[in-house]
Amino acid sequence: MITLNHYLIVSALLFSLGMAGVIARRNILIIYMCLEMMLSAANLTLVAFSRFRVVEGLPDYAAQSLVFFTITVAAAEVAVGLAIIVALYRSKQSVEVESVTKLQG
Amino acid sequence: MSVFSVEILLIVLGLALLSAEALVPSISRRTLSSISLGGVALAFVLFLFASKSATDLPAFVEPYHQLDTLAVFYKGFALIITLLVLWLTVESAPYLAKFVPGGNFSELFSLPILVCVGMMWMASAKDLITVFVSLELVTVSFYVLVAFARKSNLAIEAGVKYLILGALSTGILVYGIAWVYGTTGALSFEGISAALAQPTAPKNAILLGAAFLLAGLGFKVAAAPFQMWVPDVYQGAPIPVTTFLSVGSKAAGFVVLTRTVMAFTAQGSLIAGEIQSLLIVGGALTVLLGSLPAIFQTSVKRLLAYSSISHAGYLLLALGCSGTSRFDLGSGGVVAFYLATYLPMTVLGFLVLAVLRVNGGGEDIKDFKCLAKRSPLLALAMTLALASLAGLPLTAGFMGKLFVFLGLVDHAYWGALVCAVIGAAAGFYYYFRTILAMYSNDAQNTEPLRLNLGSKIIAIVLSVVIVVLGVYPKPLQQLLNQTQTVSAH
Repeated sequence: MITLNHYLIVSALLFSLGMAGVIARRNILIIYMCLEMMLSAANLTLVAFSRFRVVEGLPDYAAQSLVFFTITVAAAEVAVGLAIIVALYRSKQSVEVESVTKLQG
Repeated sequence: MSVFSVEILLIVLGLALLSAEALVPSISRRTLSSISLGGVALAFVLFLFASKSATDLPAFVEPYHQLDTLAVFYKGFALIITLLVLWLTVESAPYLAKFVPGGNFSELFSLPILVCVGMMWMASAKDLITVFVSLELVTVSFYVLVAFARKSNLAIEAGVKYLILGALSTGILVYGIAWVYGTTGALSFEGISAALAQPTAPKNAILLGAAFLLAGLGFKVAAAPFQMWVPDVYQGAPIPVTTFLSVGSKAAGFVVLTRTVMAFTAQGSLIAGEIQSLLIVGGALTVLLGSLPAIFQTSVKRLLAYSSISHAGYLLLALGCSGTSRFDLGSGGVVAFYLATYLPMTVLGFLVLAVLRVNGGGEDIKDFKCLAKRSPLLALAMTLALASLAGLPLTAGFMGKLFVFLGLVDHAYWGALVCAVIGAAAGFYYYFRTILAMYSNDAQNTEPLRLNLGSKIIAIVLSVVIVVLGVYPKPLQQLLNQTQTVSAH
């Protein structure tokens, strides 16, 4: 039997993996993928919590509606984000983090 | 006509302007800017006369929308800053045109309007779903705005940094919301504070969610230890966008933070003590991490970025101690007052920076040399703005800081008070270094600055506001006083 705790552990693992990737990876595209993984982990947590909270015999759908918003927003974010990364590649011919170190001081 | 109709009007205007350039390629920058400025000005006038009672809202938005004094204040705030930012965009268009491919400015005149609507919705959000969606409307628009001048390497770099850290903070925020929902069973602020009053609530799990939620919001308002993106992004972004980020985005972040903290620390809350100490420690750290590095800056834009961090620190401190009883202002009221004083001084600083930039100058302290000779009016305005940012008595900044310091004294947070005093003292050093540069005489370039009438009027009005708020803050205080009685029902 899969319980709420299993879902929470998997999503926490997914979230930590994403976070570790954001910190450790040097390629901006991969960092961006890791960020999407963190969002998915958060979504999984939300769905799990709302599925296991039963109100009047039905799961509580309030949080599941938030998941739809999160997915939509994440799609918009990817559209804008990839455009910015493409612009970066055009000007620097690279998408490594080393190419964005000019601003310092 | 309710306030909600004004917001709908604005979003229609924003979308129309966004598609204008695609549908009518021949439309000129002048037409676009005047429609956008005129539209927002009209919306502001309508907002002033619109009905601000919650009963006039359409029924379908009522469950998600509240209209207390705090919400109305921040909605007005959002409109004013958008208007000023649009003006700054017009003002700095000549220098920005060099960095924008094809001179296409239409997004720079339409996206701020969408951001404005996002900020207005955030101000009246009743639950975390509305907060999330409007926050993302603001953040995603800002990704585009920051990277807008994409022929400049610095702008692209700032855009990428803002994108990565903004997306990271979104992830953390949603994860925090998920845990807060999972442990309290509610997504609305009211439901959360009701669940927190139950002694059986799982305290540690709630604290985990609250910490993630506050960390996600901390990114948006530039609180330590999530402040490292601020100087880079502020320096790389175009000046109007930097202004918008440092005033608008910060105010919007703080209204959400105010409501979240109020829900977490409501009467009988299990975690009130922990949240308050988190805010005090975070605030003290932010003040120090903002003011100390600022001492070594040579670029005024970067200096203003660090100053924006340290002001976020004072705001967090204000939020952490539950207001000061001496002036009948709750923590939400002190934060709103501080932001109202923060608006004129910061916008004035960036306005002078933009004028210098348009006249071919740079953004470093050495470019401010001899400003007193080149334009006495701007030098005086900039002096006022910097003195107010430092917190000199009889300026607006002093009153804001006074409330924060008195709040710390009232609650005997001596450690935080020491940090705040160190930050303020460092502030006097680095702000006055720029003032000294303006009145020095050893510059090569002494030709007078060209300054158009609109900027002149805005500079004068903002200076007057700084002095008036510093000398006679009573009316604003009374306005925000009602905040408490209304929202603490």
